[in-house]
Amino acid sequence: MDYRFLPKKGLSLFVDGLLKDFKVYGPVKMDGFPVYEEVSSAKELLLMHSPSHITPKKYLFPQRETLLRFKTGEKPQVEHAADADNQVLFGIHPCDIHAIRLLDRVFAYGTPDVNYLRRREKTIIIGTECLPDKFCFCRSVNTMTAANDFDLFIHDIGAGFLVKIGTEKGKELLFRHVKTRKATIKEISKLVEFHKKKESMFTASINAEPSTLPLIYSGSYDSPVWEEIGKICYGCGSCNLVCPTCYCFDVRDDISLNMKDGERYRVWDGCLLEDFAKVAGGHNFRKTRGERLRHRFNRKFQFQVDKFGGLFCVGCGRCSRACLVNINIVEITNKLIEERETGKKE
Amino acid sequence: MTKNMPKPKVAFFSFTCCEGCQLQVLSCEDELVDILNLIEIVNFREAIDEKRDDYDIAFIEGSVSRQHEIEEVKKIREKANVVVALGACSSTGGLNCLKNKFPMEEVKKVVYGEKSKYYKYFDTIPARPLDAVIPVDYYLHGCPITKSEFLNVLKALLTGKRPDMPNYPVCVDCKMTGNICVFEKGKTCMGPVTRAGCDAICVTYGAVCWGCRGTVDNPNTESHEETLRIYGLTADDLVRSFDLYGGWNKYGGSK
Repeated sequence: MDYRFLPKKGLSLFVDGLLKDFKVYGPVKMDGFPVYEEVSSAKELLLMHSPSHITPKKYLFPQRETLLRFKTGEKPQVEHAADADNQVLFGIHPCDIHAIRLLDRVFAYGTPDVNYLRRREKTIIIGTECLPDKFCFCRSVNTMTAANDFDLFIHDIGAGFLVKIGTEKGKELLFRHVKTRKATIKEISKLVEFHKKKESMFTASINAEPSTLPLIYSGSYDSPVWEEIGKICYGCGSCNLVCPTCYCFDVRDDISLNMKDGERYRVWDGCLLEDFAKVAGGHNFRKTRGERLRHRFNRKFQFQVDKFGGLFCVGCGRCSRACLVNINIVEITNKLIEERETGKKE
Repeated sequence: MTKNMPKPKVAFFSFTCCEGCQLQVLSCEDELVDILNLIEIVNFREAIDEKRDDYDIAFIEGSVSRQHEIEEVKKIREKANVVVALGACSSTGGLNCLKNKFPMEEVKKVVYGEKSKYYKYFDTIPARPLDAVIPVDYYLHGCPITKSEFLNVLKALLTGKRPDMPNYPVCVDCKMTGNICVFEKGKTCMGPVTRAGCDAICVTYGAVCWGCRGTVDNPNTESHEETLRIYGLTADDLVRSFDLYGGWNKYGGSK
């Protein structure tokens, strides 16, 4: 992999250059918390922070998105809507880089999702390093670092930035806008050192190898854990909506008041919400909150693994961070591991 | 709808409330021309002089808080094919139900003045939502309602669809909007048990959710009481938080 060195001053030049051709989104501070917003200069960017509360997936899979526009009348017309701008997602943390890799697979699977894929095609991903907080556990699910799946990865090494080239597209953009030089071994080793430091910063960790988690979850269907946490869960769906790998949506039609045209759109949905698995006639396949929680946890550690071949939890800890009743994905997983090891279901 | 179909006749009625939800309807200024192409408004005190009783759809605003209002809403129900509760006072009883905590004689003294010898002649009964008196087909929640939800319900009725009514809490709207959770900022709100559909407008503009849209179908109120307690609310604060818009369920009696 190619590593370049970008002098300190180069960053704002680089961002200014990108802004000529792209909308640039990156982590900024809102009310003291990190969030992803559109930026207009490098100064606004928070390049070393804990995870944002809402994920950057919204730029690839928006909260509300028009799928098609239609016209009524004697000859109804339908036009597919896939609006996408060229965009740069700047400052994407390794967990979210992994999450985007997973979403790429999901939306290409079966009937490819044109809206997502078109947007993805027009997106440049620039990764950065981050600082874990008490909810982060990427170290436990092998997503603490990102080897690829980004166009560029920028790491602050004091005197300047170490830039890892991920794709030709990324390289071309870097070379077009700023002068860099080949990074020295010493400079490259600073990233390795940072990883070592980061590794020691985690307080949350899962007490089993990631590869064993599908098995642990498949054996936990009848665990009393689900009813316990089901009792305190609000069913508010916050865990779904802040999750970088949750991708469920609902599709609705809206006709204009002139009754002549309208649109079909999709909005984020979440399996923790009461009506998610409710069908015509009123039957609900997952009526209790406990069943819904079990379903979500299994989607991350078992069902999706069977289908796509990897864990669908990237360890960002956002679901635990967003949960008002402290349902913590690491604690629950460790409890299931313990139940399996001791054979006891308390 | 075909061109030659007669326009559905729509009426708006108002009972105990501030009439702010009707104002929301009137504030659909950009849409009013289109609306009037689709429906004929035959009764709407806040907007027109005309008053006719041949309506298909009745939007009823306000809670029922006097004996004679019971008779009036029953008459409306008999005439209308579809009844929609318009706004919090009508859909859940709203703020008005706060008075139900007190004896009605006390309430009259406070409102009409103890010194007035006439206060006792005013008619008042515990405030109640519309569906405590008559069957209601659809609900528009909120204090006040949102314009977009009103338009969606209207369009659904005109196209023969069941109007969408969110059965998920305000937390969803906050996450969709990208708000930082107010609990993260050390404040508290009623959002986790409150029915969404408002785009979390209060939180978005720096306030908190007071629960004006009533609760979702199955709120986890035990969990919410516990959460509020952990965030420092006293027993008294808790009662106030839940009662502000939830008075009917607590002090109203069965429907």
